[in-house]
Amino acid sequence: MNRNFLFPMVSAFLLILGTGVPSMAGEPTEQIKQTTDKILSILADPNLKNPARAEERKQSVRRTIDGRFDWEELARRSLAQYWAQRTPDEKEEFIQLYRELLARTYLNKVQDYSGETVRYEGESIEGNYATVKVRILTSKNTEIPVDYRVMKKGSNWLVYDISIEGVSLVNNYRSQFNSILQKSTYQELVKKLKDKSLTEKP
Amino acid sequence: MGINQGIPIWIALWLIAFPGLSAAQAIVQFYPSEASQVYFQSETDDPEPAPEKIEESSTQVAAANPEPQGPEESTDQAESEELEVGISDPFEPLNRISFQFNDKLYFWLLKPVAVGYKAVVSQEYRVCFRNFFENLIAPVRVVNCALQGKFKGAGNETARFFINTTLGFFGFFDQGKDKFNIDQCDEDFGQTLGFWGMKPVFYLEWPVLGSSSLRDTIGFVGDMALDFRTYLTRPIFAIVRPFELENEVSLRIGQYEDLKEAAIDPYVAKRDAYHQYRNNKIME
Repeated sequence: MNRNFLFPMVSAFLLILGTGVPSMAGEPTEQIKQTTDKILSILADPNLKNPARAEERKQSVRRTIDGRFDWEELARRSLAQYWAQRTPDEKEEFIQLYRELLARTYLNKVQDYSGETVRYEGESIEGNYATVKVRILTSKNTEIPVDYRVMKKGSNWLVYDISIEGVSLVNNYRSQFNSILQKSTYQELVKKLKDKSLTEKP
Repeated sequence: MGINQGIPIWIALWLIAFPGLSAAQAIVQFYPSEASQVYFQSETDDPEPAPEKIEESSTQVAAANPEPQGPEESTDQAESEELEVGISDPFEPLNRISFQFNDKLYFWLLKPVAVGYKAVVSQEYRVCFRNFFENLIAPVRVVNCALQGKFKGAGNETARFFINTTLGFFGFFDQGKDKFNIDQCDEDFGQTLGFWGMKPVFYLEWPVLGSSSLRDTIGFVGDMALDFRTYLTRPIFAIVRPFELENEVSLRIGQYEDLKEAAIDPYVAKRDAYHQYRNNKIME
């Protein structure tokens, strides 16, 4: 059934919010779990539930995500062959815009978290790359498989892609950027990204 | 298809007879796909880790650009070529029109009705209705699992069908999955075609029916033959299918909106998500 193919883009950032780590969990799984536990605690914090402190709460979650996502890697892979042509300033700008887009979308979705259970299915490590596999059980009794692709930088495993039911975030954005860049200029793409941040709710 | 809905038989037959299809078939080269190779090899060899294949699409492109790479990246070139190139879309202008139409259809008709329906009928019931419809098309799953040589899966789906129809009260309760933990084998004819080597060929977005490809459209028509609702009388069909559609929409409110919000180009986002999703379904 194709019914869930839209779901990947929907919950593209739903980090693992739950418990249930297998006893054999390795470093990547542990680190991802740390981040998501942190986010969960921020969301659950009664002090921060006050609407006046909503901004602070959001910033807190963002800082936590920043520690786990490798934005530059994400940006580089999403721009693919167009990345090399960019000046260092353009790259920096793009990373920020992309991060803005993803983080905002993530923050909006994470507010909807309502206790979905999550099962850690294990991980596979190959050198400095690993995949952490997870299954999210929704309230509608469906299971969503999610893969986190992480790479090791220093002692940290950072996320550089998320695949939900086989739909990779990086690939999806790469298709979009590619489609836009084939028909118009890089400046157009940057403009679109900027416009998006203006029209979307903060 | 994205959102399943019935189409008149005559449209289905027109699709089969359409001359363009035979031309497309000439283009398509049938050869065992990685999926069938992996599946049948896995009986004897170690199965290749599927995640690696999808990862390669990004690492491969990253390796192509002249910038110095940090960590050493694998040069294994699995089947990511297709994913990297994306699905061919020669009818993009037409597809975009369909996309706009579907967009309006959703916001102006499907969603309002679903919201009203959702307010009246609780989620448990709507999930039961979904189970019911999913159970009805068990023959599609059984036959297509068998066509791919997944006989254990075909057996599982058969067992699940019988259990759900009896213990699960005509399919409203998926006891097969919940109580007996029977593994699912979710296959359809489009996946079968893909399993045996047929590429999507090109992307199609149908009004009302949603995202598809040439391969999956042929698959859809094939599935209809095994779907007993196809043989219902017109009046009953005209009630059942829309109801099933609205029920499904009511369970998925918010998904399409989120896709639009996250995307720079929603049309491409949807097309690519569809392509990746179907590719993954074939591989598993």
